[in-house]
Amino acid sequence: MKAAAVETKSLTRVFHPKKKKEGKSVTALENVDLRIDRGELFGLLGPNGAGKTTLLKILSTLLLQTSGKAYVAGFDVETQYHEIRKRINMVSGGEISGYGLLTVKENLWMFTQFYGIKSSVALQRIDELLVRFGLLDKKDEKVRTLSTGQRQKMNVIRGFATDPEIIFLDEPTLGLDVNASRTIRDYILEWVREGENKTVLLTTHYMAEADQLCGRIAIIDDGRILACDTPENLKKLVRTSTTLKLDTTFLNNKQVLNSVKGVEKFTYTDDAERNMTSLRFVLDDEAAVSDIVSEIVANGARILGLRKTEPTLEDVFIKLVGKGFE
Amino acid sequence: MTDSWVVMNLRAIKGRAYPRVIGSTREPSWVFFEVALPLLTVAAYAYIYKFMNAPAEFVGYVILGGAMTAFWLNILWAMASQFYWEKEIGNLSLFLMAPISRMSILAGMAVGGLLATTLRATTTIVIGTVVFAITLNLSDPAMLVVVFFLTMVSLYGMGMMFASLYLLFGREAYHMSNLMSEPVYLVSGFYFPVKALGAFVAAGASVIPITLGLDALRQLFYPSTSGKDGFLPVEIEALVLAGLCVFFLILSKYCLDYMEMLGKRTGRLTLRWQ
Amino acid sequence: MAVKDDLKTFKIAAWLGWQMESNWTDPFLFATYSIVRPIAGTLILVFMYLVITSGDTGSAFFSYMYVGNAFYMFVAEVLFGVTWVIHDDREHFMTLKQVYIAPIHFYTYVFGRAAIKIAIVSTGILITLAFGVAVLGVDIALASIDWPLFIISLVLGLIMLCVMGLAMGGLTFLTAKHEMGINEGVAGVFYVLSGVIFPITILPAWAQSVSMVLPVTYWMEALRRGLMPASMSEIAGGTGLEHLGNLELMGALALSATVFLLLSVAVFNYADKVARKKGKIDWTSAY
Repeated sequence: MKAAAVETKSLTRVFHPKKKKEGKSVTALENVDLRIDRGELFGLLGPNGAGKTTLLKILSTLLLQTSGKAYVAGFDVETQYHEIRKRINMVSGGEISGYGLLTVKENLWMFTQFYGIKSSVALQRIDELLVRFGLLDKKDEKVRTLSTGQRQKMNVIRGFATDPEIIFLDEPTLGLDVNASRTIRDYILEWVREGENKTVLLTTHYMAEADQLCGRIAIIDDGRILACDTPENLKKLVRTSTTLKLDTTFLNNKQVLNSVKGVEKFTYTDDAERNMTSLRFVLDDEAAVSDIVSEIVANGARILGLRKTEPTLEDVFIKLVGKGFE
Repeated sequence: MTDSWVVMNLRAIKGRAYPRVIGSTREPSWVFFEVALPLLTVAAYAYIYKFMNAPAEFVGYVILGGAMTAFWLNILWAMASQFYWEKEIGNLSLFLMAPISRMSILAGMAVGGLLATTLRATTTIVIGTVVFAITLNLSDPAMLVVVFFLTMVSLYGMGMMFASLYLLFGREAYHMSNLMSEPVYLVSGFYFPVKALGAFVAAGASVIPITLGLDALRQLFYPSTSGKDGFLPVEIEALVLAGLCVFFLILSKYCLDYMEMLGKRTGRLTLRWQ
Repeated sequence: MAVKDDLKTFKIAAWLGWQMESNWTDPFLFATYSIVRPIAGTLILVFMYLVITSGDTGSAFFSYMYVGNAFYMFVAEVLFGVTWVIHDDREHFMTLKQVYIAPIHFYTYVFGRAAIKIAIVSTGILITLAFGVAVLGVDIALASIDWPLFIISLVLGLIMLCVMGLAMGGLTFLTAKHEMGINEGVAGVFYVLSGVIFPITILPAWAQSVSMVLPVTYWMEALRRGLMPASMSEIAGGTGLEHLGNLELMGALALSATVFLLLSVAVFNYADKVARKKGKIDWTSAY
């Protein structure tokens, strides 16, 4: 039986400052236990600073853990990194790597040469991917002339061009427009479905992306895994609760809503331009709705809209972590 | 689909050399700088020797030294410190994730930069000898090839060792490279016989391959003054250089592995703007 | 108001320059680095001299060479330092565009960043000169220094170098990463042709003609006359400028510096305009 694509056991990573005056130690990962099977498209959700990138760096052999174990394709990240590197690749959102003076094709070809891929094979693969990602007309353009979206597509191609067994995608659609993001997501899904035992570990901020793509999702915050399950099962965590979305005129004193009975958690966004506040509640008692409305009106705001929503991953996150994604 | 370890690393060397070579052809303004700049330093030092009525061979020493600075600067800036720049632009993590030897990446950088380096060194010698009417009397071409080859291998091995520092350090290593320009020109006797520094200093400086390499070149081109200005006999210097080749290549492998491990442990391997 | 804004920009840029220059290591190592480099550069010449003259550092020429080489550090470091600001911000930190579009005078920012380099190199020069006087017998006596001549020429020269550095910085907008070769080249030309380490009389006639239009030639002469007035008349064959009195020398320095200043400002403005037209303000060119 083939080993899991990724397995971690009590994985911990602590960062110590170079000098005492530079601050305290930071625990980026704490006792992370994770198993990702081959052929999975696995998602890792968490706010900024949760530890997602740290985990990816350990798994991609760029960083050592402080304690615990991590295995990629059955190989130990600490002692067998040579074997791991033959089987993986990584793409990060907002990557600026590459050489501005080279063309897109040259840049992509260069990186394939570090993976022992024959030039003829590499160039063919690159051409196919350029077509797939709509970059064929840019192949002879210098990298420095690309827009942000085009550059990120190039980065994604770089990751897949080496045909890895396992690919780590760290917010690959960050900052991209709808079409570009869709192209990348569609390709990722296709790659996992049609490939043999191809595995993706995807970190993202975008709930819809995780919901659409991932067979299983782990939610991480402050270096700890809070939950790990399929999107449907995770949503069931809040299904016993009611999710309520409320739009009001600007509400000043929001903290008073915490004391309303039946309110489990809530988040809000202020829109200064439109003088509005959007509130999102997870309620463990639907009867709390009337108390919430009364409290809002008593604090001088007007209700502009109110609706119950189906639980989403963000609701799951709010329930588990107590805050939305910034 | 993939090849043996040797072929894979040869591909890596080719891959990393490619941007250097292509970059050179796409931004050809470097040709002017690589030809003109070294000549300016050579000219300055040549004229100062002329003003002091120094023996003619000293101008020849300056020209040889000026030519060899090309290789030293290639080591410092186009190889050793390159990991720092690669880290800053985000390429280093991609290189380090790849299943290849770090020495291949560095070798690729060195090979890719050889065009500019060789051009610089050659034009310095050719133009310098013409402008200052210098005669170089090569006494033993075979030994010249041997000494030059050994100097280059050991020098580039040393460069790889320096490069390992950049896996861990940030700007400290960049400043160390900066620090190693003039002091090495001094202690290695780029522009005067290293013997003038005293046997003790010259012996210590001999750990830098270019010290003995340059001293041997001076003796080969000026055999009549080798007794007066040479530090050690050429054959001994060649032997020492051969030893340095082995020493630095082994040391660089160890340093690269160790520094990478240290960088991964402390989390500084891919940390930018240190 | 504009002056106040400029001062603020200068101050912040200088602070940033100091952070860039100093916070990569601990103070001791930084001090070592700041001292070792200039002295090592000077010692190359010292040993070249000693090998030929068998140790006679008491000659006027030794002092001439030593002092010239020490002050040349201003030429190299200021030209380099000013240009490097643009190069560094564009290629490495990729912050140039943010600074460029800010409502500040860009050149004030650049000079502020470079000011710290000037301060550091000044310290290096002082140490080099002190070393030369104390250990090698360089002929500088505090009581003999012509302070007005020295200070005025020093300040004028530094202003000139800063603006020239800015011009070359402007050219870096238009060229790839090896643009640092431009200011190395210009600094190198000054090194050979401006009487930095040997009198221009040793140069061919055509080269001497070029020397006579370079402001650094007059600057070097003025600095040396200010610091060691007695020794200058003992240089064998003369320095090439001995026919100029101090006032005439200062006049020549002022005139050539002004010409180069105006030229530099024009070059920078032109390069800036072309760079904006071609979209090169924020490009990168690593290979």
